[in-house]
Amino acid sequence: MKPKQFALIACVIAGILWIYLGQNLVLLNVFAEFFSGGGLNLSEYLDSAASPSFQALLFTCFAVTLIWLVSTAKKSPMNSVEVREMRPAWWICATLLILLGWLYQLVFTVLIWQFSGTAPVEGVEANFYQVPPGGWATLLVLVILDVGLLFWLPTMLAAPKSYKFVVPGALKFFGGR
Amino acid sequence: MNVFAIGIGGTGAKCIESLVHLHAAGLLTDQAGKTIRLGTFLVEPDQQSTLLARTEIAVDRYSKLRKQLGNATEGFAASEIDHYGSWSPLAGAKPGITLDQVFSKPVLRNKASGLADLFDCLFPPEEQTAELDVGFRGRPPIGSAVMSRITLDKAAESGAWKKLLADIKTASGSGDPPIIHLFGSVFGGTGASGVPTLGAMLKTWLQQQNLLKVKVHASLLLPYFDFDGQGDQGTGIHAEVGNFQLNTDAALQYLANNGKSCFDQVYLLGSDIKARYDFSIGGRSQVNDAHIIELLATLGIRHGCSLASAKDYAYMLSRGKEDQINWEDVPDNGVVGTALAQAARFAVAWKRNYSLEIDAAQNTPLKTFASGAPWIRKYFSLTEESTINSEGRLSIRSQEELALKQAIDGYAATLLQWLRQFSSNTGLGFKQELFTEEQLTNDETYANQLHNVVRGSAKPTLAVHEDTVDRIKIQMDKLPDSEIKFRGVAGLADSLWKLCIQPKTS
Repeated sequence: MKPKQFALIACVIAGILWIYLGQNLVLLNVFAEFFSGGGLNLSEYLDSAASPSFQALLFTCFAVTLIWLVSTAKKSPMNSVEVREMRPAWWICATLLILLGWLYQLVFTVLIWQFSGTAPVEGVEANFYQVPPGGWATLLVLVILDVGLLFWLPTMLAAPKSYKFVVPGALKFFGGR
Repeated sequence: MNVFAIGIGGTGAKCIESLVHLHAAGLLTDQAGKTIRLGTFLVEPDQQSTLLARTEIAVDRYSKLRKQLGNATEGFAASEIDHYGSWSPLAGAKPGITLDQVFSKPVLRNKASGLADLFDCLFPPEEQTAELDVGFRGRPPIGSAVMSRITLDKAAESGAWKKLLADIKTASGSGDPPIIHLFGSVFGGTGASGVPTLGAMLKTWLQQQNLLKVKVHASLLLPYFDFDGQGDQGTGIHAEVGNFQLNTDAALQYLANNGKSCFDQVYLLGSDIKARYDFSIGGRSQVNDAHIIELLATLGIRHGCSLASAKDYAYMLSRGKEDQINWEDVPDNGVVGTALAQAARFAVAWKRNYSLEIDAAQNTPLKTFASGAPWIRKYFSLTEESTINSEGRLSIRSQEELALKQAIDGYAATLLQWLRQFSSNTGLGFKQELFTEEQLTNDETYANQLHNVVRGSAKPTLAVHEDTVDRIKIQMDKLPDSEIKFRGVAGLADSLWKLCIQPKTS
C-alpha cells in the first residue's frame, strides 16, 4: 500500500472514530457546562440532534474529499500557475463544508422540529432544542475542527502530485526547505 | 585520454554534430570509465554549408554552456570539448576558384605541357572549370587532387592545424596515447577524397614525429541517402546518386589495398534503406537532416576507446529487423540508450517546462510563485532583489543566472532538433523505435508528460501517469541538502539531469 493510500485510510478511520465516539465523549466530559441551562438534556440532545448533524457532515466531507482526490488524480499540474489556480477551488470547498456543517446543526437542532411542529423535549413548549449561546459557539467551532479533520487533513496527506501544495499548510509540512 | 575527431565534408560535419551530443551525454569514456577530453576539427571546402553551420552551432552552444557552467555540475554537461574550428583545403583562394586555377593550368601548359596534357586526361573540362567553393561536387578525383596538395608540415606552421597538431603531440606524451578519429562519407566528394588522404597524411606525420602510439581511426559512411530530384545544366557538375556506388566501390578498393597506411581501425556504416534528401549542389541549400547512421558512426569512438578495440581492423554493424532499428541494434545499448534517453528527457523537461517556469518567475512575486513550485526554494533565494541571500542561494532574477539559463535553452534546443531529425529521417518503409519524434519539439508551450519521449528498452519503467515533469519537481523538492551540490540554475539543471532518468517511486 502506498503511503498516500495509507494516510487516506487512516484519516477515514480517525474521522469515523472521532465523529461517532470521540467527539461525543469530549462534549459530555469537557464542554458539558456550555450546554447547561435551558433544561437541555445533553446526552439526549447529542443522540437526536448533534450527532446526526455531525454524521451528515462526516459523509459530506468524505464525498467532497473523494471528488477532490479523484479530480486531482486525473490530471497533473504542469506549472506553478496551475497549482495556484486550484487554491480558490479548495477554499470554496472548505468554506462550503463549514457552512453546510453549521446548516446541519441548525437543521437538526431547530428547523426539523419547527417544520414538524413538535417539541423535542417533553414538557417544554419550545419546538426546538434550547441550546445556550455557549453551546452554539462550541458546536460551530467543532464544525470548523471537523472540516479540518475530515477535509483539510486528507486532502493534504493524500492529494496527488503537486496538488498537495494547494492545501493550506502543505508547503510548511511537505514543501521546500 | 584525448580523442581528436576530424569531420571531413558534409557527412563528416554531421558526425561531429552527433559526437557533440554523445559527449554532452557523457558517453565518451576511456577504459577506466573516465570522460575523455574531446577535440573537434572540421574540414570542409564549402564554408557556406548549412551542415557545417549546424555543427558549428552545436559545438558553439555546448561550449558556451560549458563555459558558463564551469565546475558547477556533477553530471549535466560535464564533458569538455576543445573545438579547433573549421578549415578549408581551399583556404585563402579567391571566391569561385576552379580546379584549373588551383593547378595554375596556363602556367602548367607553358612550363610542363606533358603534365597539362595529363591534367586534361584526368579531368574533363566541366570538372576543371567547376567552381569549388560549394565543395568537390561529389567527385572524389577533384577532392583528391586538391587534398593531395596539403602538407601537414606546412599546415602545422599556422592556424587551426598548428594548434591541433601541437595538442596531439602534447597529448601523446601523457599516459594514455590519444586517438585521432576521422569521419566522412566514402560516396561523395569531400569525404571520399579527404578521409583517406588526410588519414594517410596524419599517419605519415605521426611516423615522422615518432608518435607511434597515436592511433588513427575512421568511421567511413557508405551510401545511406538518396536525392529527391537532380541538378540541371545551371548547377554544373554535381553529386549524382548514380555515382554513389561507383565512388564507394573505388573507396573500398583503395581501403582494401592501402587501408593500413591510412587508418589503424575503421568502422564501416551504411544502409540499404536510404533516407531521402532534396537535391542540393551544396552551400546554404544543403539542409540534410541528421541520420541515425551518423550516431552509430560516432559510437565508433566509444568502441575505439574501449578495451576490446584492438582486435580487428574493420568493424560493421547489422540490425535485427529488416524494417526497423531499435535499442538492441545500438552497440552497448544499455549504457548508450540510458544516456541518450536521459539527454532527450532532460531536453524536453528543461526546454518545455523548467525554462518556462524560470521565465514565469520573472514576473510573479517569488513567494507567490514558490507557493505553487516549492522546488524553487532549493535552488534560489526568494528575495525579490537580484542578489545572493545569506544562505548562498542565488536570485532567479540575476543576470548571471538568466545568462546560464539561456545557454542551457540554446543547447537543449539544438539537442532536440538533432534528436527530432534523426527520429524522423529514417527513409521510406523504415522506422525507428528509439524516440517519439512528436515529443521532441521546441515549442514554447508547457509539456509535462515524459513517458513517450523514449521508446523501447531505454524507456524508464514508470506508469504513464507517473512519468511527468511534475513528479520530478516533487522529487526535487524532497532532495536532502546533501544531494544538492550546487545552487542556482546550474544546480537545478544538474538535479534535473540526475532525476530525469532514475525516478524513484514514492
